[in-house]
Amino acid sequence: MSAMLLNKEKWPDFVGKLTGKQLWAPQIKDEQLRFAPVAEGEEPALDYKNTRVPPKNVVFPQTETLFRFQVDGEEVDEPKLDEEVVLLGVRPCDARSMVIVDKLFSWDYDDPYYARRRELVTMVGLACSEPGLNCFCPSVGGGPASTEGLDLLMVDLGENYLLEAITEKGEALINETKELLEETRDANLEQKEKVINEAAQKIKRSIDPEGIPVGLPGLWEDSLWQRVSASCLGCGTCTFLCPTCHCFDIQDETEGFESRRCRTWDSCMFEEYTLHTSGHNPRPSRLERTRNRINHKYNYYVDKFDVIACVGCGRCINLCPVNIDIVEILKQVKEAL
Amino acid sequence: MDLEKLRETAAEVVAREDVKYLIGWKNGSYGYRVAPAFIEDAEGAAELIFSPLCISNLSTYLTLVEKLPLPRGQEPDTRKIALMVKGCDSRAVTQLLVEKGIERDGVVVIGCPCPGMIDYDLLAEKYPETEGLSEVKWTDDGFLVIRDGEETNVTRDELLAEKCRLCRYPNPLISDIMLGEPVETWEPAEDKGVEEVDKKDVNGRWAYWEEQFSNCIRCYSCRNVCPLCYCQDCILDRLNPTWVNRAVNFSENTAFNIARAFHLAGRCIECGECERVCPANIPLGRLNRKMAREVRDKYGFEPGLDPEAEPFQASYKPDDPEDFIL
Repeated sequence: MSAMLLNKEKWPDFVGKLTGKQLWAPQIKDEQLRFAPVAEGEEPALDYKNTRVPPKNVVFPQTETLFRFQVDGEEVDEPKLDEEVVLLGVRPCDARSMVIVDKLFSWDYDDPYYARRRELVTMVGLACSEPGLNCFCPSVGGGPASTEGLDLLMVDLGENYLLEAITEKGEALINETKELLEETRDANLEQKEKVINEAAQKIKRSIDPEGIPVGLPGLWEDSLWQRVSASCLGCGTCTFLCPTCHCFDIQDETEGFESRRCRTWDSCMFEEYTLHTSGHNPRPSRLERTRNRINHKYNYYVDKFDVIACVGCGRCINLCPVNIDIVEILKQVKEAL
Repeated sequence: MDLEKLRETAAEVVAREDVKYLIGWKNGSYGYRVAPAFIEDAEGAAELIFSPLCISNLSTYLTLVEKLPLPRGQEPDTRKIALMVKGCDSRAVTQLLVEKGIERDGVVVIGCPCPGMIDYDLLAEKYPETEGLSEVKWTDDGFLVIRDGEETNVTRDELLAEKCRLCRYPNPLISDIMLGEPVETWEPAEDKGVEEVDKKDVNGRWAYWEEQFSNCIRCYSCRNVCPLCYCQDCILDRLNPTWVNRAVNFSENTAFNIARAFHLAGRCIECGECERVCPANIPLGRLNRKMAREVRDKYGFEPGLDPEAEPFQASYKPDDPEDFIL
């Protein structure tokens, strides 16, 4: 796989080359940084820590129409999924989250919608040089320049971006834009190592997950769950903003005679999530729901897929309205072991 | 406020046999974060704080508490819940009393006169948050930010939260115990946020809210944090019939946000929590303050002032203006 240099002056041309495909990148819209399709002439915002909403929406839309039908009709109309998407400037944690979620969507049943969107996406990552305050990716197997899930990794070297192809898709992208790129020199690779090492040094928060997955079942009735869930409001912020949270609901929605079956993100923090038809709710309070959120990420997922379903992006910590802090919870779990 | 006095009082309150726990504020896990504290003993009381970072309205926990079915033979715990309130928060308590959402005997209200809170986003933007705990104190003309041992004086104007600029009731209007002397009230600022939207024409307003509501991710943090959104059976959770589809799009998001705004008309006490917690940055305060302003101007009613008041939406006067009826 090749590595090339892109001078930042040629950045607009590079972006211009990609707009033939649907290009998604972080942009500031309504004073908010988010992944959104880039229209011609628009510039992605790359100088950022992390978007509030992760780019999981691209492969797992918050609302996805599975098919449309007419009430009393016989025909079913399935939307075609054939548009290639380039996700530009994705952070290594968000790219890694997709590799983790892949395991679920290809487990006992291959989810065709998710699989197709994953096939169609090319992931161009941007290594972090200024990690956020609540980033803890190295603790859970990632890193500021992790390449897992990426097709191409960009590293900011000041005047240039270093572009490293990780997969065939990434290699193809380098070939498509070759006229804009320059050969790398040894000094560039050394500089890359320096940038990455410095970034890793800037990550302040950490948790050693050793012992947590096997220890959690023994803490089922521990008083820590009462403590950490007491202030929970039961909203969906932590789960909706989590790049690895993947729960969904499927509903038929009808307007007049037009119907569609759609799937939408769901959240285990909602009361309705586990409510049975009988009225019984096996997770009747926020205590059980909080315990489930931690167990799902740090116990069940590890048990089933041998990986922690948390990439340490810090979003749930940043945006919890009441400062429920997953690193603090994990520390309490470790103390209780 | 004297923190020693606060902690002493809190310890006395939680030592009472008729009090289950006290809800107050404590330092959060890092930076400028403050977390709700559920205090049951003197040791816990020693963690309590009251600072310009205590912007959250804890009265939402009065109705958020889950009443699960009890095992046969077990009596419900009817002890009181003690709650620390600022001026705005106290209006939520009063409004809950008006609506009979809580009982007066069920709460011990600890009033905290409030000189005004800091806007977290403004603070973090100007003085970036660090991993250690920072402290912020009130000074005579503003705030003192203590971050990593470094002290910075900041003017009040620079960091005061929007809801506090507009505040008319900084002193708790209802309390069982008052901590400290009442603060001097200030001239409320003009509500530039509401005015900015108001001066648009109807299409402009629609376009504005269309853009805002399109950003909603339907996490319902605004609903859950709201002390006055406490329906046991919320219209948004209903599936049969499904009043609001689960699909996240402009139409459904608008249905949700407008339903909430209407349900809060004459009930919202302008604590600003909905806007503060919104991860999509939707200026929900503008919507709810607009409704509050309409109710105040048209009907002369302000919620959360008088525990004996009739609920606005359930009362009728023959001379109520009805010029909105087409």
